[in-house]
Amino acid sequence: MMATLSDITLRTNQWITPHIVIFAIVLLSLPLWIAPVGLYQYIGIEIAIWIIFALGFNLLFGYTGLHSFGHGAYLGVGAYAFGLFQHHVGVSLIGGLLAAVVAAAIAGGFVASFVSHRRGIYFALMTIAFGQVFWFAAIKLHWITGGEDGLLGIPRPNLNLGVTSVDLSHNTALYYLIAVLLIVITAFTWRAVNSPFGRILQAIRQNETRAAFIGYEVWWFKWAAFTLSAMFAGLAGGLFAMAQESAYPDVMSLHQSGLIVMMVLVGGGLVNFWGPVLGVIVYFIARDILGSFTEAWLLWYGLMFVALVMFKPEGLAGVLAGVNRNNGVALKNLPAKIAEGK
Amino acid sequence: MIQFVPHIINGLTLGLLFALIALGFTLIVGVMEVINLAHGSLFALGAYFALAIIGGGWFGDTAFGAWWAALPVALRYITALIVAPILAGVAGMVLELALRRTYGKAPLYGLLLTFGAALVIEELIRLGWGTGEQSLSIPHAINGAILLGGLIFSKYKLFAAGFAVLAIIAVWLFLEKTPYGAIIKAGAHDGEMVRALGFDLASLRLLVFGLGAGLAGLAGVIMVPIWGLRPHVGVDVVIPAFLIIVLGGVGSFWGSVIAAIIVGLSVGITGAYAPAWSMMSMYILLILVVGFRARGLFGKKSALET
Repeated sequence: MMATLSDITLRTNQWITPHIVIFAIVLLSLPLWIAPVGLYQYIGIEIAIWIIFALGFNLLFGYTGLHSFGHGAYLGVGAYAFGLFQHHVGVSLIGGLLAAVVAAAIAGGFVASFVSHRRGIYFALMTIAFGQVFWFAAIKLHWITGGEDGLLGIPRPNLNLGVTSVDLSHNTALYYLIAVLLIVITAFTWRAVNSPFGRILQAIRQNETRAAFIGYEVWWFKWAAFTLSAMFAGLAGGLFAMAQESAYPDVMSLHQSGLIVMMVLVGGGLVNFWGPVLGVIVYFIARDILGSFTEAWLLWYGLMFVALVMFKPEGLAGVLAGVNRNNGVALKNLPAKIAEGK
Repeated sequence: MIQFVPHIINGLTLGLLFALIALGFTLIVGVMEVINLAHGSLFALGAYFALAIIGGGWFGDTAFGAWWAALPVALRYITALIVAPILAGVAGMVLELALRRTYGKAPLYGLLLTFGAALVIEELIRLGWGTGEQSLSIPHAINGAILLGGLIFSKYKLFAAGFAVLAIIAVWLFLEKTPYGAIIKAGAHDGEMVRALGFDLASLRLLVFGLGAGLAGLAGVIMVPIWGLRPHVGVDVVIPAFLIIVLGGVGSFWGSVIAAIIVGLSVGITGAYAPAWSMMSMYILLILVVGFRARGLFGKKSALET
């Protein structure tokens, strides 16, 4: 019997759990140890951005059971919105990020109104089609988006804290901004999936017809989950534009949209809240380590992915949980144990 | 009105080619209810095999290689047209063996597995043939242009469209006029019962998947002289194929053929007036149709919806 996300025995209304505290400590201390372990600061930025994307994506993919294969589009929309805001409205960090989230919410909400009445494979197909439309538009509307080259020279605006202003042009400073945002978002997502709203999403995954018969407006919840995950993607996109100092259509391609699915699944997003986090970390580390040995690192990553789908669709989190299950202590119950002080 | 005719004929030709591309995909999804996202990569693989056969790259500087290179292009082309799809079919069979573990689970897993396989095949192609753009030589007899009623047409495109018609009819006959189609279709719905009736479902599925992959490879060999060849071609191909299946309705053979022709016409006509947006028109078409008809034009209820 495959474990599911809804097996978590403890239902908390806590915003902060021991896991989140550990995660926050790791994130905030990362600049201190990333160089000694042989990595570099920029990969920390990439990982943090993609975790934001992946956590939001898993609200839809893992929790609601809606398999979007076109989510790269909203990351791209966020990136372009951030860039266009800096170029045409004014150089502002908050403004740019807000523009990214709002633009992605509009794009996601628009698409969601088409797809939220669909399920199964038709849902996946529609998301692919819409993803391609956005990708295509980004390439062809070159007077807005810069075509295949994308928007270049996007500035990294300073963070204004009222009394002082922080220069984000240095990667470490930018990393801290993203890490803090990520911690807030992790707590928010954790709270959301354990809220009544989150439980309805899971009910829809388990049996959509039954959820509708209980009296929930299923399509509205699907719409909300889709739009919410698009907003996460938009925020990630805005941060990505800032990190890359550019925005380009490549992130919207089917290939990239497929990669986020792979990351979430490899990590175990189907069975564990932390699956997407694990998946993103594994992907980027694999890219750098395998990539330093061979040009064809995606071949090995792809083979690993195929093997996981065949033998352990629960992903790495499922593998870890399986190790612990023998002792009668599933990994997913650990938060409960820790909370009870055992 | 008369200036419209070439666009319509171009669109129809393109539609038939799209139908050929989607054929293997239709076969696999219709009979086995598996979405084969590696379809495009098998298409590319078939084309690269043909490249190796026609160019003689595999035989190197041996005496056989020299003899082979001296043969007329037509002969090498025909050999490629037969051998390359078979090789792609074998690759498809290997994929089917891996895919067996996902039968009976949610359709998502088949989708994911074939997506991973697509990535792997694409990387293997990059390793084997490099990342550059390649082209395939075709026999002189079907090269060049032809004048029909005062209009110029590419001979090769007409040849390819004719070939597509033949392939469509052959697959339809296989599905409707032989018992295999019915058995495999029944197997997708109730495998236990089909096995109880004494059919060897496992080898039938292997056969169908091999056939579907072979058709993908065949489409690759046919299409590459028109579209050019790069490792990434798989993605460019799997999307239209995918789209056509959904537009026509999953599980409907003629639905997908008709959808392919509609898509061909819309791409052809858009291409005449706004070339940059021609490929976009098919996505808009899909969204319009599926937005109103959940199962596409001719779709029936399918196991893939749960």
